[in-house]
Amino acid sequence: MSGQIAERLPRARKWPPVLLIGGVVVTAIVVLALLGPAIAPYDPTAFAVRARFATPSPAHWFGTDEFGRDVLSRVLAGARYSLVMGFGATAISLALGVPLGLLAALHRGLVEEAIMRVVDLLISIPPVLLGLLILAVTPPSLWKTVAAVGLVYIPIMTRLTRSVALGLLEEDFVQAARARGEGAVSILAREVLPNAWPPIIVESGLRVTFAILLGSSLSFLGLGPQPPSSEWGLMIAESRQFIDQAPWIGLAPGLSLCVLLIAVNLFGEGLREALDPRLHARAG
Amino acid sequence: MIRGCTRVPADARAVLAVEALSVRYATPRGWLHALDDVSLGIARGEALGLVGESGSGKSTVVLAVLGLLGAGARVQARRLEFAGRDLTREAGSLRGRRIGVVFQDPAAALNPALRIGLQVAEPLLAHSDLPRSEIFARATALLAETGIRDPAEVMRAYPHQLSGGMKQRAVIATALAADPDLLLLDEPTTALDVTVEAQILDLLDGLRRNRGLSMLLVSHNLGIVDRLCDRVSVLYAGRTVETGPAAAVLADPQHPYARGLLAALPRPDRVHSGRLAPIPGGLPDLVAPDPGCIFRPRCAFAADGCAAPQMMVPAGPGRAARCHRLAAIEGLGWPVTAAPAPVRRAAAGVLVGAEGLRRSFGRSGRLARLFRRRSAAVVAVDGVSLAIAPGEILGLVGESGCGKSTLGRLLLRLIPADDGRIAFDGTTVPPRPGTAFRRRAQIVFQNPDSSLNPRKTVQQALRRPLARFRLARGMAARQEVARLLDRVRLPEGYAARYPHQLSGGEKQRVGIARAIASRPDFLVCDEAVSALDVSVQAAVLNLLCDLRDELGVAYLFISHDIGVIAHVADRVLVMYRGRAVEEGPVADVLHPPYHPYTEALLSAVPVLGARGRSAARVRLAGDPGAGPAGAGCCFAGRCPRKLGPVCDVEPPPWRFPTPGHRLACHIPLAELNAVPPLL
Repeated sequence: MSGQIAERLPRARKWPPVLLIGGVVVTAIVVLALLGPAIAPYDPTAFAVRARFATPSPAHWFGTDEFGRDVLSRVLAGARYSLVMGFGATAISLALGVPLGLLAALHRGLVEEAIMRVVDLLISIPPVLLGLLILAVTPPSLWKTVAAVGLVYIPIMTRLTRSVALGLLEEDFVQAARARGEGAVSILAREVLPNAWPPIIVESGLRVTFAILLGSSLSFLGLGPQPPSSEWGLMIAESRQFIDQAPWIGLAPGLSLCVLLIAVNLFGEGLREALDPRLHARAG
Repeated sequence: MIRGCTRVPADARAVLAVEALSVRYATPRGWLHALDDVSLGIARGEALGLVGESGSGKSTVVLAVLGLLGAGARVQARRLEFAGRDLTREAGSLRGRRIGVVFQDPAAALNPALRIGLQVAEPLLAHSDLPRSEIFARATALLAETGIRDPAEVMRAYPHQLSGGMKQRAVIATALAADPDLLLLDEPTTALDVTVEAQILDLLDGLRRNRGLSMLLVSHNLGIVDRLCDRVSVLYAGRTVETGPAAAVLADPQHPYARGLLAALPRPDRVHSGRLAPIPGGLPDLVAPDPGCIFRPRCAFAADGCAAPQMMVPAGPGRAARCHRLAAIEGLGWPVTAAPAPVRRAAAGVLVGAEGLRRSFGRSGRLARLFRRRSAAVVAVDGVSLAIAPGEILGLVGESGCGKSTLGRLLLRLIPADDGRIAFDGTTVPPRPGTAFRRRAQIVFQNPDSSLNPRKTVQQALRRPLARFRLARGMAARQEVARLLDRVRLPEGYAARYPHQLSGGEKQRVGIARAIASRPDFLVCDEAVSALDVSVQAAVLNLLCDLRDELGVAYLFISHDIGVIAHVADRVLVMYRGRAVEEGPVADVLHPPYHPYTEALLSAVPVLGARGRSAARVRLAGDPGAGPAGAGCCFAGRCPRKLGPVCDVEPPPWRFPTPGHRLACHIPLAELNAVPPLL
């Protein structure tokens, strides 16, 4: 058997390439967003009537919009909104959805019934409509948009967590933990969650992108941050009427959105691989 | 190079002729040699058994014959012929017509969305021009031929409405539909209960006789090969190591691997047969297979010449084995490692006592329960009482669904009981037991893949109980882990491994190490060796026996395998439909007087070298748990010795043939005593 042992020894940790690519791009966008005001060449809200609809040039990398505002500076300033939107809303849905899902899986019966029926109710309403409902009655603001989008995604997280946890709770290693008399918290934290993370992480990556999109959609509909804010969705909405004379106004925030979404997805996928001990050995 | 020694006379009547078949798969490391120079032949009406452990290439042979290996496989053969037709080119048109197949899991073989009738008729619909009505009439007749009592009814049924045994009969009917000459059976009864397995084996035996069918039976179970086959080929790591008449090979194996395999097998007819002889090590790496004897690293008789390529050499009439030392090792048995001297043996007194344990599972959904709509609950455990002495091994046998596992979990308070008392070491165990009980009563599971948390290293898995019960911390815990690994015969370096880096047997050892980490006095072994190959199973069984001898641990040993129970258990409890029907010392239970259910169970067990005895055997009709549950005997619905209405109405009295041996039956002891011994 000695011949086999050497072969099956654990290999040194090797970061999956998608994690590196996704991580680098996401970090770059976060840094740019943080540094935004400091490195932006112009004030994102300063009008310059003479420089309206300037094509991209060394002076204005992404050109200027209908008020002569520098599109690069506006995209940099708007990155912050998208990041807060995506990660904030996902954090909210994770923070509430995962514990609810675990609770439902652990306490089968009335608790589960109550949680899952409320979740069914929430899931049955189209997300944009639910966002509209919440935002239409009160004056819009970024934080309310984040909370609304987060709320919309709680049911998805709860359902996913519950179904994954239900399967895991049947596994023999959970039975072994029960035979040791481990408490509910210990079982969930040691046995269930470490194995439930992969699908939750992948889902979170998707949620971040969908939250950014949904946030931008709500802004597009006029329910997010208000002009002259440079949220990307709002920028795209405003650029619509100039699409043939100055396509760069919408293209710059649109492409930025694309790059961010793809990078976040790669990062999530990479994280899942990095956390899975089985994929490590195979990668080598 | 092997021509002339391995081949049975390849006359024109040979249905299947395979010569020098090799199958390779491309892997990132190179070619994986799944099959290497395998030859076999089946004459008309002959049944050939193909035996070997997992990874030996048994199923690859079947798939190669069927031409179903897929694009990734490179198949080479000097000859691969069915009745003179080249299978490498014509397999597609022959399978399903002249070659029928039955796979292991009948539930997976049938399409759940189609009626049985259509599935049985499908080969005919595809391959013949008969009118539809005629085809369906023939399908009905086929179902009748496979022993299904109301075939017209079953034709209209969907697979989920049939039991496992019925499904397998339907699958066999499907395989027979196009009137094949050869039936390939890949572990056809492995998914079935032993009494149902016996029915299917009888059916296959009958079909073979009536239709003159040839059969290729692939199985890890030597007993059923002995029961059904004329000749047998033993495969190891993709090579044939021995071939010959089944009775002769299984009674007196020549090749060291075949000897090891038989020495590792616990036999139901040998109670406490001493230590089993496990084969050390695991399967070799098939990417760079040993050009010499591939069994060499594990062989107890290996010598200098073994590095040279091995030929099949004659080993008696019609027999051949791939070993050059046959003469040198003539008559030698596989060596047994010495057992450590027993420190503690079964002591007097009661460690675990249970009285009137009951547990039922509701069948209705939650919504229905919310509206007070109750359907009949399934009583999994129905008033079972038992007592286990310190250091004693109580075997628990019965078919699937009889409540074995539920009883084990009830005893550990892993699931709440509806009724009954449990006492542990003299004190009552409350429904939510404290840490002291948890530390002293532990469990080992059946499935090595699900019993370890895939995200935890062996070290982490073993340290958790130490921390939880405050037994050791820091450096002391590290040493304790090393000691535990040593105890289950694993190298210390395994501590850093994740479960996916272990083989099935190794995982099972880690599961055992985790269970004994808290130094328990009582272990529930829930089919702890059932998922393992015979050679590995023997090692784990020896380990469990050693732990009992060294640490004085008592076991509730749950198993469906009578051979395993006969080997390890001190006493046996036989369960049927949630109730204990017989209990006593293992030698007493395996000998008359039998409870009629025990008798049926033992009759159904395929025993090596017991060919002539099948006539005297009892066969149960139907499936485990069939028939309505009444106030009387739980076995009345299936009992071949049923006396009359008294069995249905009155609960049977306990009878005590000897002190410590009890069985619940209306039949007087004198009559039960008259039954001949079955093992």
